[in-house]
Amino acid sequence: MREAVAGRYIGQRVRRVEDQRLLTGRGSFVADVEPEGTVHAAFVRSPFANANIVSIDHSVASRAKGVVAIYTGAEICLLTNPFIPFSNLPGQFTPPFWALAVDRVRFVGDPVAVVLAYSRALAEDAAELVEIEYQELTPVVSIDDALRTDSEPIWPAAGSNILYEAADQFGEVDEAFRKADRVFTETFTSHRLSNQPLETRGCVAEVDPESDEVVFHAATQAGHALRWTLAAVTARQSAVKSIRALAGNRGRLKAFARGAKAALAGTGDQLKKADSSGTIHQIRKDPRTLLYLGRSFLGTLSAERFPRVVAKDIGGGFGSKGPVSREDAVILAVAMELNRSVKWIEDRVENLTDGGQARDERLTISFAVQDDGTILGMKANLVMNQGAYPGVPFNCGLFSRIMKVMLPGTYRIDAFRLDTTVVASNKGRYIPYRGPWANETWARERMLDVVARELGMSATQLRLKNMYHPSELPAKMITGPTLDPTMTAATTLQRAIELAEPAAFAAKQEDARSRGRLLGIGFATYHEAAPGPPDYTDAVTPGVGALLAEKSEISLEADGTVTIRTQQMPHGQSHETTYAQVAADQLGVPMEQVRLVWGDTKNTPFGIMGTGGSRGGPIGGGAVQFSSRALRTKILDQAADLLEANVNDLEIVDGNIHVRGVPAKGKSFAEVAAAAASAGGGIGDEPAITAEFTYNGPPQGGWACATHVCWVEIDPDTGFVTIPRYLVVEDCGEMINPAIVEGQVRGGVAQGIGAVLYEKTNYDEFGNLQSSTYMDYLMPTAMEIPEIELHHLETPSEVEANYRGVGEGGAIGAPPALTNAIENALAHLGVRITEQHLPPHRILELTGVIKPNVASR
Amino acid sequence: MNSPSATATQSAMGSLHSPIDGTATIELEVNGVGVTRRVNARLSLADFLRERLDLTGTHLGCEHGVCGACTVVLNDEAVRSCLILAVQADGSRITTIEGLAETDHDGQIISIHPIQRAMQEAHGFQCAFCAPGFLMTALCFLERNPAPTRAQIREEISGNLCRCTGYQSIIAGVETAVEIMAADRREGAQDA
Amino acid sequence: MPAFAYHRPASLDEALDLLSRFGEDAKILAGGQSLLPLMALRLSHPANLVDISRVPGLNEIVEDVEGGLAIGATVTHTRAEEAEAVHRLTPLVAAALPLVGHRAIRNRGTVVGSLAHADPAAELPAVALALGARFIAVKSGGQRRVAAADFFSGFLTTDLAPDELLLAVGFPPQKPRTGVSVKEISRRSGDFAIVGLAATVSLDEAGLIASSALSFFGAASTAVRVTEAEEALAGQSPGPEAFEEAARIVSQSLDPPEDANGTTAYRKHVAGVLTRNALADAIDQIGFAA
Repeated sequence: MREAVAGRYIGQRVRRVEDQRLLTGRGSFVADVEPEGTVHAAFVRSPFANANIVSIDHSVASRAKGVVAIYTGAEICLLTNPFIPFSNLPGQFTPPFWALAVDRVRFVGDPVAVVLAYSRALAEDAAELVEIEYQELTPVVSIDDALRTDSEPIWPAAGSNILYEAADQFGEVDEAFRKADRVFTETFTSHRLSNQPLETRGCVAEVDPESDEVVFHAATQAGHALRWTLAAVTARQSAVKSIRALAGNRGRLKAFARGAKAALAGTGDQLKKADSSGTIHQIRKDPRTLLYLGRSFLGTLSAERFPRVVAKDIGGGFGSKGPVSREDAVILAVAMELNRSVKWIEDRVENLTDGGQARDERLTISFAVQDDGTILGMKANLVMNQGAYPGVPFNCGLFSRIMKVMLPGTYRIDAFRLDTTVVASNKGRYIPYRGPWANETWARERMLDVVARELGMSATQLRLKNMYHPSELPAKMITGPTLDPTMTAATTLQRAIELAEPAAFAAKQEDARSRGRLLGIGFATYHEAAPGPPDYTDAVTPGVGALLAEKSEISLEADGTVTIRTQQMPHGQSHETTYAQVAADQLGVPMEQVRLVWGDTKNTPFGIMGTGGSRGGPIGGGAVQFSSRALRTKILDQAADLLEANVNDLEIVDGNIHVRGVPAKGKSFAEVAAAAASAGGGIGDEPAITAEFTYNGPPQGGWACATHVCWVEIDPDTGFVTIPRYLVVEDCGEMINPAIVEGQVRGGVAQGIGAVLYEKTNYDEFGNLQSSTYMDYLMPTAMEIPEIELHHLETPSEVEANYRGVGEGGAIGAPPALTNAIENALAHLGVRITEQHLPPHRILELTGVIKPNVASR
Repeated sequence: MNSPSATATQSAMGSLHSPIDGTATIELEVNGVGVTRRVNARLSLADFLRERLDLTGTHLGCEHGVCGACTVVLNDEAVRSCLILAVQADGSRITTIEGLAETDHDGQIISIHPIQRAMQEAHGFQCAFCAPGFLMTALCFLERNPAPTRAQIREEISGNLCRCTGYQSIIAGVETAVEIMAADRREGAQDA
Repeated sequence: MPAFAYHRPASLDEALDLLSRFGEDAKILAGGQSLLPLMALRLSHPANLVDISRVPGLNEIVEDVEGGLAIGATVTHTRAEEAEAVHRLTPLVAAALPLVGHRAIRNRGTVVGSLAHADPAAELPAVALALGARFIAVKSGGQRRVAAADFFSGFLTTDLAPDELLLAVGFPPQKPRTGVSVKEISRRSGDFAIVGLAATVSLDEAGLIASSALSFFGAASTAVRVTEAEEALAGQSPGPEAFEEAARIVSQSLDPPEDANGTTAYRKHVAGVLTRNALADAIDQIGFAA
């Protein structure tokens, strides 16, 4: 059923609440925080990709002007616990690591020491004076380097540079390949990228020397996850001390138990599905893991100081501010040690070096097909380059599992096999980036074009032939999840074909070719679990769904306004606007009466995910909708008492609660609040009525779908690619605010275009980063990004809160649409595109105008 | 840091010298208010605005002159405040994002600038970390060219990076600002 | 940013005194749009900065009696871009200026500063080389003129001595029947060029090519002219055949460095493409003028 409450705000292009402060320079970002007496941190970082640390001499630096203290890995080992894997897949090894490099550096930019001084400039001056002697080791840079059997393990406990291998088979793969008329195989390589929010990472550990309170101001997408991870890493004390402390403070232990029970309420069945063999494997490979686990756990329970995380405005993240940074742990640990506030605001060079990088994957795909284009089976081989340090809390392992589930896409594929390998290398750490599984879409949609060309079919014809159409649904993907009839990928493709008229374009393309111009068109269709049905999370990793539930707390304040508390961490997604829209419609009040509280772990509900995974609309928005409805019921009950009326006869119009048809005898929200407060014996500043709802997504569906169409013109003389037209047909269910949806989609497409034509995190063969400034890491400007046409489908659903995520899709669809268009433009020259990054010189190499230079790729 | 030996000397001829890592006194006008401060020679204008004047609306994105987030107006021209030393701004007139809206004596906003209104209407920004730079760039641009083409808008804002939007909404916002400002001018002309 | 001593002289003499006192330990700060990024990245650690922005007399654009033009040391790109005399007397300079960085950079950066910085991928050094500009260098007790051909001595290095200040750059009058063109390709708008070309072509009265300048940027460790191609053009009838031949010579004779934005082969090839396009463009302009 669609929501019965009359929507006044949902579906409207409501102006953003956030803009009142953000457009007037009155936002509050982490760099704007500076408590009294703060000292500033600068990190000393490794210039080598792979080296042993022979010695560190900071005697000169320590005497430099304004220096308060210098810490190296040796000290950090005594102040913290190492980062240990949050979750491990069966057979996976995730190396434990320290917040600063100890004895060895593993990538260019690895933090080796931290200098604290009275200003950032003075800290940087002193950082230049720290003398470190290194003994260089052979760097392991590329996937091929890591896979070589003679490559020295970066993490000796792993035994090799292969950290995870898996083989997953669904259906009769060998038979499908035996029966097929044709088999096509191609290997696709994607380069490394960087998320690059305009605001870098940063934090301020605010320590009140007079009390135990530590406030950790951060730019984070996931405040609660940051809080607990930092607590575990910085709670360094002996197990004996921890146990003594706990024995002396049973109240605390009980509080933890209550918290854990509340956080995991109702998830028992899901948790039971979890497979713990990965953790056992981890402990076997590196028994110290057990020690670290125990010490962190007991320390977390008993530590004297437990950080409270606070984030206000955040300047973008795109996945990069979800992971916990080693620097965060260093800053918190040294602030508590020094008993004074410490601030670190990352600079752009650090961000490009150590702020997180993504993609860097190789996918070989084989399709077994009939001559008529029917796909019988699919095989894939995935290798992911995780870099030196695993992401926390999520590393390549989890993202490889999402790729496993999503690789067959929206096509009827009854036999599928995936072989997965995750390798370590001397590069920066791999982190999630806007659709962390996106390369499954890129490689599959690229490969479908290859197959279509080989079979002499059109790319759209091949897709439509094999794609699930809504009339064939529900059906199960061979990898597990159920596709319901709102999975409208095929509808988006059909609509895109109507709009793009590929047949007419082909004639235009022929004509242009005869005059020496190169035009091309490319399609790409995908579905995205945003959030997907319950059997989707089970297919990814059994039990993981238990961690994803989201609670919304809502209250009617004494003054009649409404406050929503969320675990979401808005950083550009406009939650203050959209959640107010949702709640206002449910409650029948003006939006202005609704306020969102977020970002402070002290007064927001617990949640691991924060904002990420395109969940803010569907899960967060759904939770707000249902908690608002619960509050509405309570308010009406209270009003019914006041009005001496039957609750079923009441309605709410513009914040006035009255018997249907008798608005004059109504009660305002403030009057109801006052009555509730006095009934509850409140003193006036406590919320009058509260409600909450924990939501973990719809019982079915939850798929966002889209088709992207990209047109290109390529200059045959220079290899420059321009995009004269780009369109997206998308279906995210009901749109809370179309302007915000459109901004998300367009921003994603821009990043996808950037990936293909401009951006590359570029390491040389020695592991030196060649793209550590904005002169070298080329983010597109307004001159490079075309206008992007958007067409919405808004397929209704029987499921309530029919909102599906759009945060990531744009970035998922653009690379395949664009690379398909480029190949389409160059097809008559025999060009096949198997790499994702295509700068102008590479285009001319592919067209045969200039000789290829392998080293430059 | 403020020992006498490390302070500036100012000659009668108007020259200014600060010893290594020393300070100098500068006088300038920021958002219509005259300020005099003793600053370290290596302090950038951006850090001066943020740290010394608490005008934290000006943001730092790259600190090497590429992203444009720190753009402010210096004597009617858009400049990168990360690529100007505070001492270089001595004697100049600066406008920052905080000075764009009309405010009362307590800094409370009376009315926002048409460019701000336009960006809100057009949903110009998302995280908006880059917004102050874009707004100051647009302010100077529309002063010089009150009726630009879309191509000119693209070109002019191409020195500012935004990672969220793909720029289309920002361009729409500048176009909306052009309309609002033209209407305001027409109204102003009628009133006069 | 590393620490330094800051000096803001109020006169040219004071500035030159400071330069002679500090020698290699000083850097001149005009617009600062090349120097300050390097310092912000801690890639440059000058002990002294001599800020010449308040030195009187340097912020001037001066026409000389022969129809040439001099641009003073503190004239910004934007000011030059907006100066009528620059468009009238030095169309090649006017064509190049909008390609320099972005507006905010041009508002602070100076024409002379860009020349003194001598980035091989920057537009203005190649323009100066194409036009045979003359550089006026001054130090305590002396002034000298340096021809553009002698000025750019290597990657980010010039003929200037540490105690010298580049007072102005002078551009000679443009010959009659001359067309100019600046063509460049860069990864993104406003970036330094992958490779670019500042070209002039002058015709004789018979309409044949009398002389030309093909001055490339992003193609070597300095801006560089391809004189073989210029010579091959001399006496030719301007048209696709002559341009094609010049392009061929250009591609053959340049040996550009390689980086992530372009391989050597790519830069050689595109230099040829730009040659064809720039020559055609320049000749078109003469047709227009005539």
